Amino acid sequence: MRKPMIYLLAGKLWKDAFRSKVMVIALGLMVFLLLFSTYSGWENYHDQNYTRDVMQDKVQQSWENNPDKHPHRMAHYGSFAFRLKHVLSVFDLGMENFVGNAVFLEAHKQNTVNFSEASMSTGLLRFGEVSLAMLLKVIVPLLIFYLGFASIVRERENGTLKLLISQGISRKEIVFGKWFGLWGLSLVFLLPVFLVVLLFVLIESHDSLYADSLLRFAVLFISYILFFAILSAITILVSAFSKTSKGALVKLLGIWLLFVIILPKSLQAIGYYLYPTPSKIEMETAVEHDLIKQGDSHNPDDPHFKALKDSVLLANNVKQVEDLPFNYGGFVMAKGEALSTAIYLEHQERLYKVYTKQNNLERNSAFLNPYTAIKNLSMGFSGTNFQSFLHFKDKAEAYRYKLAQDMNQLQMDFIPNKGKAGPNKISREYWKAFPPFKYEFLSVSRVFKNELISILALMLWSVLAVFSLLKVSTNLKAI
Amino acid sequence: MYRLLFKSFFRTKIFFVSLVLLLTVGLVSICIGKQYLVKQEQAIVAAQEFQKESIKRNIEYHNDDLGLLLYYLRFTLIKKPSNISAISIGQSDVNPLLQTVTIRGLEGQKYDTDFENPSLLMSGNLDLGFVIIYLIPLVLIALTFNLYSEEKELGTWRILAAQTSGKSKFLYKKLAVKMLFVFVVLIFLLFMAKIILQIPLDRRYLVILIQSVLYSLFWSTLCFFIVSLLKSSSFNALVLISIWVVLTILLPAMVNNYVLNKYQVPEALNAMVEQRDGYHNKWDLEKEATMSGFLEAYPQYKKYTVPEDKFSWIWYYGMQHMGDITAKETSAEMTEKIMQRHRVNEKVALFVPTMHAQLSFNTLAGTDMVSHLDFLKALTKYHESLRLEFYPKIFDNNPADTIDWKVHNAKFYTPKHEFNWVYIILPTLLITLLITVFGRFNLRKL
Repeated sequence: MRKPMIYLLAGKLWKDAFRSKVMVIALGLMVFLLLFSTYSGWENYHDQNYTRDVMQDKVQQSWENNPDKHPHRMAHYGSFAFRLKHVLSVFDLGMENFVGNAVFLEAHKQNTVNFSEASMSTGLLRFGEVSLAMLLKVIVPLLIFYLGFASIVRERENGTLKLLISQGISRKEIVFGKWFGLWGLSLVFLLPVFLVVLLFVLIESHDSLYADSLLRFAVLFISYILFFAILSAITILVSAFSKTSKGALVKLLGIWLLFVIILPKSLQAIGYYLYPTPSKIEMETAVEHDLIKQGDSHNPDDPHFKALKDSVLLANNVKQVEDLPFNYGGFVMAKGEALSTAIYLEHQERLYKVYTKQNNLERNSAFLNPYTAIKNLSMGFSGTNFQSFLHFKDKAEAYRYKLAQDMNQLQMDFIPNKGKAGPNKISREYWKAFPPFKYEFLSVSRVFKNELISILALMLWSVLAVFSLLKVSTNLKAI
Repeated sequence: MYRLLFKSFFRTKIFFVSLVLLLTVGLVSICIGKQYLVKQEQAIVAAQEFQKESIKRNIEYHNDDLGLLLYYLRFTLIKKPSNISAISIGQSDVNPLLQTVTIRGLEGQKYDTDFENPSLLMSGNLDLGFVIIYLIPLVLIALTFNLYSEEKELGTWRILAAQTSGKSKFLYKKLAVKMLFVFVVLIFLLFMAKIILQIPLDRRYLVILIQSVLYSLFWSTLCFFIVSLLKSSSFNALVLISIWVVLTILLPAMVNNYVLNKYQVPEALNAMVEQRDGYHNKWDLEKEATMSGFLEAYPQYKKYTVPEDKFSWIWYYGMQHMGDITAKETSAEMTEKIMQRHRVNEKVALFVPTMHAQLSFNTLAGTDMVSHLDFLKALTKYHESLRLEFYPKIFDNNPADTIDWKVHNAKFYTPKHEFNWVYIILPTLLITLLITVFGRFNLRKL
């Protein structure tokens, strides 16, 4: 392959493209959509995070402002966790609007994360959302197909392909020239988007987040460049194999529909169909059932808690709980909390395993569908996928547990047992000593691990693309 | 003539592909709807069991302390499911079908969600509504985009033109054959849905049928309009798919983005915190701070005395209710914001048949936002009726066995299902007529 030849052919594709109406309309549309989604993405990110930040501070203040009281009152007073958006959610909204944003954290009870944007929206949300990533994932592939479907087949229809070959340009040069041309063209749409995103990453990331966000950005950037290379290769391949340019276009449109709409949606639906999940009430029933089996702290005759009492009395060498050196109520609650939390988490874990099974059907289809690969990868690195949400949920639950147990500990240490002398309250200084909820995003290494399949699939597709182009160049029909 | 057209159409590959695609995806979507109904049924049974069991068990432990018993007991209100909702699952996967509440403050319980896989929520349900809104247009496009151009490009148009008297009439007939095929499949699928999902043949079903037919008619005329421009097949395919992308993806998504940003709902988070503080702060205040507000709302309980120096249930439930009262205003604002979102969406949808079809399907299926808000209103009422029933008994220190617990089964709420025929049918009809006129006008030149 001769470089100048490839540049020449690629350059010709550019010239032709920029002369065509499709490109003019596409560029106009993209500029408009870019502006719209940048604005709406940024506004969403900024406003929501601002609100949640303010709320989180407010919640902490009201926590600290509580007067002296019994620590168990504080365990019920509880706290809230508000989910913060990653700056890259400006780029890819992912599941942002379908997962909850705020959760009330209190003793004894795991509350659901409520107020997802979806729960406050009309049915319109199901049409999807416009984000910068959506433009790159959904709209630009269509544009690549529009711009490239005729690239080889039209040359053949016009007889110019034969001419090129007879002038001594090799088939390989033609195929790769066209491919580079189309790929380069697609980057015209990609670069502005990533410039905008880079800008946001630079202004929004502070200190420790800086390297993390930049790394995420870099992975996204490279992935999308590869994705476009794959799409361009598919376009060239279809164009090379088709008899007429109309046939090439229809095939490519079919591929687009299959990749972007039909496959992902059907597979997700089938996954859901194959692996049914319990409703909340069913799971709560199961949790309660297990809890009663293990030990019901509400039941005065419960064997588990009776045995616990006996062993504590024995260990401390006293006859009745009132004589224990710590508050017995606090002790029982601490044990109960540990028990109920473990059982709840076990059931939740089981539920999430089913979700994973439901999703894996679609996730693994990345090997058949490059769109799926980029979709999951893009959400993962933008911090807007299910794992990112679970990470928040886990952190919130850990905070809740710590809050409840710290309060139980304070009760054990400072509140006298029934019938004993002593204050029934402790100083408010203890509230201030309890740290506020602080959310940290999933580490990049975890994201890499989560998205391993998507990354692998994307790489495999890239190799396959180059390989097929090589293959097609050897038997490209001139007429 | 028609026989010949049908025959040649049935021989094409695209006929076969469309038929198989529509039938398989259509039937799969109906099965998914069925599964959704079964899941609802299971959840309802589970909720009924749960309530019975938990009442039974808790009475054993807390018979002497009704206040404490009712601290634990949970009561369920179920939105009566209707089978037609399986056609358009809409927002009913995000918004729970039933809510299980204690008689403590409602605001903290009202918005609890059910468990649902967010990946599924994001990709949306593959219900029959999806097949109608997304796939039927695609099939129509695939069948009609080369209605004229294929004859032209194959060189058969000249022969045809010489042989038929009305050239445009021939195109109409060809279009009619393809449209008829799509409509037959569409009606067949809706009929299958009726049988498999056991949907009663009522007004709601009929309007869904009419709206589906109208919607398909809209796409048929749109394809026809593009064909009437007499451009090449590639041009038509490109333009029609672009229109499809704009109407089913870009435009609704942009409207949605705009509405979500324009009408943000920070009130949701505020109300949540206000409710907690409104209740909990009362623990640290004089009893009077609670009782004045509570007795203002429910003066019938003035006769009960509230001991100043110790705990009493009237004070406790009063505090709980004060949480709701504190959050009431913000909560109402939140509902109003959501309604605002709904109204803007509906208005825009009048001009965009895809959006209008989705929203009207949801309305007819009872799976729209408004229907859920109505359910929440009913839940609020139910919660109050429970409280008003139990309050005096708690305050009188009645033991639990004085209450007839058998009547406290999970309760059903029957949604209203009101809709306006004209509002649902007219917009799509008008737009379709308008496009037809333009298309016919174009074809005069033929």
